[in-house]
Amino acid sequence: MDFAGALSPDNLRFILEGFYVTLKVAFISIVLSFVLGCLVGTIRYAKIPILAPVLGVIVEILRNLPLLLIIFFTRFALPDIGIKLDVVTSAIVALTLFEGAIISEIVRSGLNSVNKGQIEASRSSGLGYTQTLWHIVMPQGLRRMVPPLVSQFIALLKDTSLAVVISLPELMNHSKIVIAQSYDFVIPVLMVVALLYFSVNYALSLIARRLEAKFV
Amino acid sequence: MRKKWMSVSFMLFVISALVLAACGGGSGNGNGNGNSAAGGESEAGASLLDEIKSRDKLVVGVKFDTKLFGLKDPASGEVEGFDIDIAKALAKSILGDENKIELKEVTSKTRIPMLNNNEIDMIIATMTITEERREQVDFSEVYFEAGQSLLVKKGSPIQSVEDVTSGTKVLAVKGATSVDNIKEIAPDATVLEFENYQDAFSALKAGQGDVLTTDNSILYGMMAQDANYEVVGEPFTDEPYGIAMKKGETALVEAVNEGLAALKSSGEYNTIYEKWIGEAPSE
Repeated sequence: MDFAGALSPDNLRFILEGFYVTLKVAFISIVLSFVLGCLVGTIRYAKIPILAPVLGVIVEILRNLPLLLIIFFTRFALPDIGIKLDVVTSAIVALTLFEGAIISEIVRSGLNSVNKGQIEASRSSGLGYTQTLWHIVMPQGLRRMVPPLVSQFIALLKDTSLAVVISLPELMNHSKIVIAQSYDFVIPVLMVVALLYFSVNYALSLIARRLEAKFV
Repeated sequence: MRKKWMSVSFMLFVISALVLAACGGGSGNGNGNGNSAAGGESEAGASLLDEIKSRDKLVVGVKFDTKLFGLKDPASGEVEGFDIDIAKALAKSILGDENKIELKEVTSKTRIPMLNNNEIDMIIATMTITEERREQVDFSEVYFEAGQSLLVKKGSPIQSVEDVTSGTKVLAVKGATSVDNIKEIAPDATVLEFENYQDAFSALKAGQGDVLTTDNSILYGMMAQDANYEVVGEPFTDEPYGIAMKKGETALVEAVNEGLAALKSSGEYNTIYEKWIGEAPSE
């Protein structure tokens, strides 16, 4: 073990550069997969003809494949059908599709959890279907979704590490390079990496707890 | 009821427009650093070698995390190693300038798909020439004679694989073919297996064994880290490294082989070899 050597300013800066890519990819994927998940979840909740069942099949496929496979697919199979993506974009696309599928199920179950009586009351008060969805179902459903959504976002942030297989220059990739400098660097570097992942995810958990206390 | 889903559809349409706008922004960013890829569609009939020359840049897939061969330096951000110097020398022989080169990170899993997607022109990444791989890619001549070898403390009586006899404690890494190889060649020796190279090397330093065996490319890396240890004897397995190129690019393979031959005859190959491996290549 060589803490001083492993955590030299240059190595730390390099590790943090990787962490920045992790956070960037995670943030973009969280935003995109949340929007995608809300969209798909709502479509399936509202049972829109044709669209809902088709999306249902796609969600099942994505949800039941390993993320690693989807990452490889977006990186190396899409070019075969003419879609060329660079490493960062293919990681974001893969994460968005996979996590979006899971989030859509969270959204759907959140919306479903709203009591049918509420909807009937709203409709008989003269609100249209969309108004009911927007003003009655969504506000209540979304609050209940907060805890599972945040844990999914935490999962997503950790899942970015799988993109190490396509050499995305994120935290795991950069720590792997630092570790390769010397056999004595393994433990110090992995401890720093664990600390970085933990602190940002724990912060997310704390935020979720506060939101939960406020909403639920 | 029809009104119900028409109005929902409208709402969703608005949301999806927003999503598309967001996506557009995202992939725009991505493409910026993506299109520096080797590719471009290769024109029909034009060979990859012509494309490299007209592009005036050689795109090489190398390792970023392999000591001595291709290792990124966190301080400078530069990738350095034996493979890198060979790549630069080839850029010089093909394009006349060793700086007309772009290095992309590959791993054992991604290198062949990236080659086939035209993202890289060639792989110089500690890649062993095997019959299986020959079906997927074309190889240059051997540029590094890799093979399983032995690492001992300096002054050890063990100087080659013949000295590994009963009573010799051999350290090896679990799950690797190197365990089977040493058991076959030296059936009387005691083999102690470890989870990873680090543990095996620590065990050798702690005197738990007499000799550590695995690929010489890894052993040279250990030797570079601790000068009290040395690689002894010739490799006793034959796992030569070659430069891989897309199948059918005969002109490029020839250019690479010419470049390698010139490197060897000018002595530059030996200079690069000694710089990284720490000793002269064996004849």
